[in-house]
Amino acid sequence: MLTRINVGPIHPSTHGVLRLVVTLDGDTIVDVEPHVGFLHRGVEKLAENRMYMQSESYMEKIDYAAPMAYSDLYVAAVEEAMGIHPKERAKYVRLILLEFQRIASHLLWLGTFCNDLGQMFTMFMWTMKDRDLVLNLLQDVTGSRMFYVNMRLGGVSIDLPPNFEEHANKLLDYLEKRFKDYEAFLEKNPVFIERTKGVGVLKREDAIALGVTGPVLRASGVNFDVRRDYAYYAYEKLHFIPQVQTRGDSFARYKVRMQEMKESIKLIRDALKLMPEGDALGMPIKLISPPVKESEVIVRRELPRGEGMIFMVTDKQRPYRLAIRAPAFINLSALRYIAKGARYADLFSILGSLDLVMADVDR
Amino acid sequence: MLIDSFGRLVVEVIVIFILIVFFDYIFGWLERKSIAKAQFRHGPTYVGKFGILQNLADIVKLLAKENIIPKNADKLVFSTAPLLLLALFIFLIYLLPFSNSLGIAISVGLLAIFVLLSFAPLLIFLTGAASGNKFSLISAQRSVIMSLAYEVPLILSVAAVALYAGSFNIANIVNSQAKIPFIALMPIGFIVFFIAMLAELERPPFDLREADSELIAGWLVDVGAPYYAVALFVDYTRMFLGSLLISLLFLGGWLGPYLPSLIWLLIKAFVVAVVVVIIRATTVRMRLDRLMRFGWFWLLPLAVLNIILTFMLFVK
Repeated sequence: MLTRINVGPIHPSTHGVLRLVVTLDGDTIVDVEPHVGFLHRGVEKLAENRMYMQSESYMEKIDYAAPMAYSDLYVAAVEEAMGIHPKERAKYVRLILLEFQRIASHLLWLGTFCNDLGQMFTMFMWTMKDRDLVLNLLQDVTGSRMFYVNMRLGGVSIDLPPNFEEHANKLLDYLEKRFKDYEAFLEKNPVFIERTKGVGVLKREDAIALGVTGPVLRASGVNFDVRRDYAYYAYEKLHFIPQVQTRGDSFARYKVRMQEMKESIKLIRDALKLMPEGDALGMPIKLISPPVKESEVIVRRELPRGEGMIFMVTDKQRPYRLAIRAPAFINLSALRYIAKGARYADLFSILGSLDLVMADVDR
Repeated sequence: MLIDSFGRLVVEVIVIFILIVFFDYIFGWLERKSIAKAQFRHGPTYVGKFGILQNLADIVKLLAKENIIPKNADKLVFSTAPLLLLALFIFLIYLLPFSNSLGIAISVGLLAIFVLLSFAPLLIFLTGAASGNKFSLISAQRSVIMSLAYEVPLILSVAAVALYAGSFNIANIVNSQAKIPFIALMPIGFIVFFIAMLAELERPPFDLREADSELIAGWLVDVGAPYYAVALFVDYTRMFLGSLLISLLFLGGWLGPYLPSLIWLLIKAFVVAVVVVIIRATTVRMRLDRLMRFGWFWLLPLAVLNIILTFMLFVK
């Protein structure tokens, strides 16, 4: 006998307002039907009614777990349209800030993932504490903890403070130690291994066909990372290995993100060493008839959740049309395929392993 | 004579009830504080010194609220099963001796306790199934399936204890640990019993019935505020029963130097309870099918091995 259960939109483990209609046969999932759109705010339309640099703060609110990555994506699209290239130092500053943002986002994910597995709030509080230190560092730079709005055309609004390198190195050493602790804490726990290994397997072909990106794609054995394959900023100059796992299960997705945080630490250290002196400040642009060069632009950036893209049709004052490819929305589409046949208890750990932010899904 | 023994019984009943309330209250506070410590939080701080009165404030708040019984619920069963569950656990604690002089030491105490204890999953099933909610129903099903996984190893590990002590009387069992507690004699049996008790007490990693992240609160989803207070009381009383059983059967019960026997028993019970809380803070939840496999492929053979070893080494 089949049972249909309505999970959400208000439920402790749906990471926001996601509604799932689950069909169960006993304890086995027959079908999962995600219903999205509860958090739709029409960001794309809002951008059409604002001048180019007024939309940046709206873009940050698309993904509240990694806002800086989105503001960078939008500013990069405007830069492309105006034909402005970021300054040499700004390329490094942006990379450092974005990698710190990636670490903060992955830490938040790790905590909520453990919550989904049923280890209520211990890991969550630990990672939130470490994430808080990263946010403090970003606050030192930008003056804000959550929505930074620090990217400007050709550079950043506020350059790194003079003692930044010292603080950052101290924090990176601390984080490196913590990541080792986390790995020992989780990977030596047989119940954690049992709950993640072989659960929610996304095969390589399916991953490509569904269009998932980011850590979810790399966990399925596809060696693709926008930071390397379409290198931007200082990623061109720094040595960097995308983290790939082959099994495609929840554990692989966990492992990819864990390794990515370590890789980010290396990237930041290298960038701090190689960063040139000079000016990183971006230019304020004319609000009235800015120098728009291109009529259509498309940019892609590796956000913490996957590949983000902006397609922008430009106009004189403001974008004529803006379309955002949100990584979490496309990663969510994989849920229906990988949750089939899993146990009901695993549904939320699979959902958690996809790293969803519902604001990003619904825009 | 008759009046004397009746008076003594009344005093004992009152003393044990005070003990139950005392443990429930202190454990409720201790759990919140120690979980908070493990998670870099402060836990309750505002009400009373160190937040000691927080639970009292919570219970007053919960009892002052309206009791809502869902429309789809079977009203009779839904409103009696949680109370019966509480009564069951309190009654079970009355079957335990607290020292050589306090508490009832009946000759078939061990048998009676484990027979009655197997009613608990049934009552949880009734509450869950009667509430008319699908999450509760899943939780109710899990409750029954879980009891299949751990009841048999639980009884078998207890059987080894009874075999060694040669008695079902818990007082005799404790007194036969005068030289060396059973945890040292049968460590395998202790591990099996401890794990099975974790499942019986609905404590992580076996809290599948209450699984916050998937079933919201399991069989308690539709329970109104006053009944939720009852459910909290059930949870802590159950914890008291479990830690008492572990300390009586394996840790030497009230035996210990210098301090009065009742204090020793309470110290041991609190230590066991804190260990259970630490396990709660660190481990992720097990899955139902894995729990079944674990119960039948690991716990059961280990329990049988324990019985055989006990028989070969100590009884013969």
